Amino acid sequence: MYKIKLQYFEGPLDLLLFFIKRDELNIYDIPISKITGEFIEYLNLIKQLDLEIAGDFILMATTLMQIKVKMLLPRELDERGEEIDPRADLVKALLEYKKYKEMSEELSYFEANQRRISYRGNYSADYRISVPEYDALLKNISLYDLMKAFKKALLDQPKEIVHEINKIPVSIDEQIDFILNQITSSGELHFLELIKDIHEKIRIIVTFIALLELIKMGRIGIKTSKRFNDFIIYNLEQNG
Amino acid sequence: MDKSYLTIIEALIFASDEPINQHLILNAIKEIDGDDINLTFDEIDRFVDDLNNKYSSLDASFRIVKVANGYLFATNPEYGKYVGYLSTEKSKRRLSQAALETLAIIAYKQPLTKPELESIRGVNCDYMISTLLEKNLITITGRSETVGRPLYYSTTNEFLKYFGLNQITDLPKPREIEEIMKDEDFLEQKQKIMMNALEENLEKEGEVDNNENHETE
Repeated sequence: MYKIKLQYFEGPLDLLLFFIKRDELNIYDIPISKITGEFIEYLNLIKQLDLEIAGDFILMATTLMQIKVKMLLPRELDERGEEIDPRADLVKALLEYKKYKEMSEELSYFEANQRRISYRGNYSADYRISVPEYDALLKNISLYDLMKAFKKALLDQPKEIVHEINKIPVSIDEQIDFILNQITSSGELHFLELIKDIHEKIRIIVTFIALLELIKMGRIGIKTSKRFNDFIIYNLEQNG
Repeated sequence: MDKSYLTIIEALIFASDEPINQHLILNAIKEIDGDDINLTFDEIDRFVDDLNNKYSSLDASFRIVKVANGYLFATNPEYGKYVGYLSTEKSKRRLSQAALETLAIIAYKQPLTKPELESIRGVNCDYMISTLLEKNLITITGRSETVGRPLYYSTTNEFLKYFGLNQITDLPKPREIEEIMKDEDFLEQKQKIMMNALEENLEKEGEVDNNENHETE
């Protein structure tokens, strides 16, 4: 397997241009099948190295495969009745990208030249030496800076955290009466029905404790129910 | 009289940390000496050239550069190493290939939106845009009227300063696609393709595949 410097490619178009240059392909007549194969091979290589494949590369892989399929089908015709090459859009994108990639080389050349000269105020423009605050306030403020500052101000606002505690007046004695009331009126009762109308967690807990209390006192009994996860409460005083 | 303008202009440019344009220079002189003085932008430009000639004849370590639509004193390239030594890491760091590509596209197509940028580069540009905004090399210049009203980005004066350009039009023109195709690089490629195709044809006929097409070009 050949080695590829991974960081060299700035994106899928860059990678395709690399293949085209390396294999001396004609950009106007790209062998789609070959290049799709290589492209996917490269994606697999990235996978092997456990690097995250950027969505852009996957998108390009699907575009290539789509073109590959279209190449096999009869060509569509444009308004003048000429065949449309399925690769045309890709070629256009590649050339457009190549154009700006070349311009970035020009910029790099300008940058290299420029790095050798220093403007007046060079050191004060550097962050290592602190600029007086009022100066920093007035310099180069753009809409973006204001937006950033505004966003930061909003985010930095201390958040008021409010905890609300509702006291639920409930006692075991109360719930004992409640259970006994329910049972005397209906003889026996499923547990889930008993707590069906109780919404607060604490009240359910207290009711359950009251239930245990009543069992301990021998005033009620419980028996298994056919229903899953439920049991029946019955009155011992009446029955016994 | 001319002599004094020369030194006044020199003083004005010298005192400025940022590129100072002809308009400001002329305004300052008019405010002090009166509106009736006879000085044009072209003359200011010539004075600056005179100053630069003077500096180079004195073997000075600096000169006035024309950058970001103004004039600014700058050291000569041969002192870059020494001056650079006192600068922080930040200013020594060069822009990445991705940043240069993004800037090139914005510089030539400005103002343009992120979707337009991304369609040319073929990759997501969120990070690049925020980095370049952070470095003040690009800025937001409005909103497109298209769906979602995406923001427009353009290059800044800082961009011009960074690349030592006076105006954005000082950038070399991007080559037209036809020209790229005429490029030696590609001509060379075409020749090689043709040679390969010929050789392959001689060796094994039929299996030449796509190279047949190159032959006819």
